[in-house]
Amino acid sequence: MTPPVNTTVPAAGAKPVAGQIVLGAACTIHEAQALRAYLLERAGHPGPYEIDGGGVEQIDTAGLQLVVAFALDCLERSIHYTWKARSPVLEEAIQMLGVAPLLESPGAVSYSPGGAA
Amino acid sequence: MTLDLAQFHDTFFEESFEALDSMEAALLKLSAGDVDAELINTIFRVAHSIKGGSATFGFTDVAAFTHTLETLLDQLRAGKRQVSPGLVDVLLRSCDLMREMLEATKQKQPMDKGRVATLHGEIETIMKSAGSEPAGKSAAAAPAPVVMLSGESERSGWRIHFVPGSKLLRNGNDPLRILRELHTLGPCVIRVDAKYVPPLADLDAEECRLAWNAELSGDIHEDQVRAVFDWVEGECELMLEAFGPVKAKVSTAAPAVVAPEVPPAPVAAPAAATPTATPTATPTAAPAAAAVSAAAPAAPVEAARATNAGEGGSIRVSIEKIDELLNSVGELVITQSVLSQLAAAIEGREAEELRSALGQLERHMRSLQESVMRVRMLPISFVFNRFPRLVRDLGQRLGKKIELRVVGDQTELDKTVLEKIGDPLVHLVRNSIDHGIESPEVRLAAGKSAHGLIELNAYHKGGNVIVEVTDDGGGLKRDKILAKARERGLVGPDEELSEERVYNLIFAPGFSTADVVSDVSGRGVGMDVVKRNINELGGHVQIHSTPGKGSMVRIRLPLTLAILDGQLARVGNEVYVVPIVSIVETMQVRSELVNSIASKGEVFRLRDEYLPIVRLYDLFGIEPDHTELLDGLMMIVEADGKRVGLFVDELMSQQQVVIKSLETNFRPVTGLAGATMLGDGRVALILDIPGVITRFQSKETRRDAAQRAA
Repeated sequence: MTPPVNTTVPAAGAKPVAGQIVLGAACTIHEAQALRAYLLERAGHPGPYEIDGGGVEQIDTAGLQLVVAFALDCLERSIHYTWKARSPVLEEAIQMLGVAPLLESPGAVSYSPGGAA
Repeated sequence: MTLDLAQFHDTFFEESFEALDSMEAALLKLSAGDVDAELINTIFRVAHSIKGGSATFGFTDVAAFTHTLETLLDQLRAGKRQVSPGLVDVLLRSCDLMREMLEATKQKQPMDKGRVATLHGEIETIMKSAGSEPAGKSAAAAPAPVVMLSGESERSGWRIHFVPGSKLLRNGNDPLRILRELHTLGPCVIRVDAKYVPPLADLDAEECRLAWNAELSGDIHEDQVRAVFDWVEGECELMLEAFGPVKAKVSTAAPAVVAPEVPPAPVAAPAAATPTATPTATPTAAPAAAAVSAAAPAAPVEAARATNAGEGGSIRVSIEKIDELLNSVGELVITQSVLSQLAAAIEGREAEELRSALGQLERHMRSLQESVMRVRMLPISFVFNRFPRLVRDLGQRLGKKIELRVVGDQTELDKTVLEKIGDPLVHLVRNSIDHGIESPEVRLAAGKSAHGLIELNAYHKGGNVIVEVTDDGGGLKRDKILAKARERGLVGPDEELSEERVYNLIFAPGFSTADVVSDVSGRGVGMDVVKRNINELGGHVQIHSTPGKGSMVRIRLPLTLAILDGQLARVGNEVYVVPIVSIVETMQVRSELVNSIASKGEVFRLRDEYLPIVRLYDLFGIEPDHTELLDGLMMIVEADGKRVGLFVDELMSQQQVVIKSLETNFRPVTGLAGATMLGDGRVALILDIPGVITRFQSKETRRDAAQRAA
């Protein structure tokens, strides 16, 4: 059983800043409601955003779908975002689900796994 | 979010048992040398599903065993292992064991772990063995698949359209796992379709709104692809389309396949985001497509389903509920009869309209009744399916080569009849294998093929279901049966019997002694029980045999045990129901056509044959209105190839009657199949024509014996 992880707390313990979005270690259906609330709260801040997925250890379709929905919202609102990092687990999930194209902010430099945007 | 999985246990067990039946049938076909990729895939799918289900429900022993079995089957499927009789035997025993394990799990009973471990060990030993590789193939050389997949070489992959249902995530399924598994089958390009994803604020976090189009490359069988989606069957829309050098059509073979295109988004979406996008479409176009569809419609599957409202489906309903329904219909039939009878007595301007309306009611009732009856009908394959295994196992044990041929296995009959016919049929088939079919040596010496043949045949005839068990064995030995019957006093020393009556002797209780078993091919063993069971179903059994050529047992069964089309006939104050299927014709008999045979009773001439006259009042001890034949009516009835004239006072109406068991409510009476309530509230007895003939014959025999004694 996955231990509960507070997705709203940045994995690295960094101080949250406006525009920064830090995905927690667990982003699964068990944390989906909290993650959704966190992303909605972050979306209230003006962009651009920087998403840090470097600390993601567990993710499933529910978790990634929320991130996709967030990214699509940004697209619709023409808000720019970049990826600070993606953990291997997150990257694998992105590739497997084929959502990589949805997680690239228009005009942003394509994210390269293992490096910054 | 807590999901009580226990609520799914019954369904899981039920489906698993059915799946194991399919697995066994497929294994038996493999056993017969019919090596086919589809068969292997069927077997694999069963193991895969049971493993998955068992793991989900925490039945760890079953999951562990089936996991190992699945690995072995995967080797078979991949062509790394050849089908051999030994392997099929292990797989059949595994099938048996899984059935037992599931049954034990269902009943919450412990399982013999020693047996499980032994078979588990056998499977692991097989998997470690390399002897199954085709000889001469080096490890480096790509072994040719043992099983060639028909048309496979023409395919280069599959286009998969996968739209999860909105509840798929909540039910514990994860498309990520599914797509990950898909990647294990071969190179896979996956494109997401996000046009149904609403704005984050409107998104239910536990509802899947993504859909996917995948292009899977490689020489992959459809079943392998479908197996990946096994656990979301019914919870998603899945469409597979083969692509390759020869364009394959969209697959429609698998269950739960609905092949609609996801309806277009409300706002025109770029082609790249639609499910029909070409595989080479640039994925970067997708975000825009998704973005413009923010006002998402209902979840993808539901949207797709809406276009398929007319699709067929099925539900599981308990037999008790169907029986309740049937019983209610039966009572309605009686009520309708009461109304019809009352209406017949009414006169006046509105009476005709009433009768017309009642006629309409009767037609609707009949339609309703037939519909309900159909619900209870099942194909006889449910019973026949057990015989391939029986024939194989028993044939092997006895060193006999036997082919089983099944004809008409889709013939339908009532579930109750179906359930009760199983054991008698098993008995008959066992007898055929054990004592009918000769050993290969004997057969060859007799100029026959070394392979014996047993044929099961089922068909409808005149409102009945006929089931025949035929073998091409040695046949019954008439002289020995007759000698044995004379020895036991069943037949008088000078009494001559027709062949049919001689063969029927083997159904006599007590006739089946061990002595007879060895002398007359053992056909007497338990045959009395077989006959009794069939008679209890309202059926009849006949036997035909040709020495040296084989035997045939023909069973006639009613389609249903609940309702009967009957002709009402009056004798004195009593009303009898004569099953319409038994009636040949009805006539008045002139005295010049009647003959009395000395001490053999009366017969009358009907065209070219003489038929015995059965005076119903005499048979049941009733005071009739008429004893002169010309004053009453003669109903010519037939059963088991015998015809008699049934003399009654008068015929009344025809009607459907609901059969109430006499045995349950009173006691069995020879010649009576049951009772029913008539429209006027009177109870009428339902005649069992074969029983009537039997009763008549034994009465005549006694009368004859008494006269001789006098």
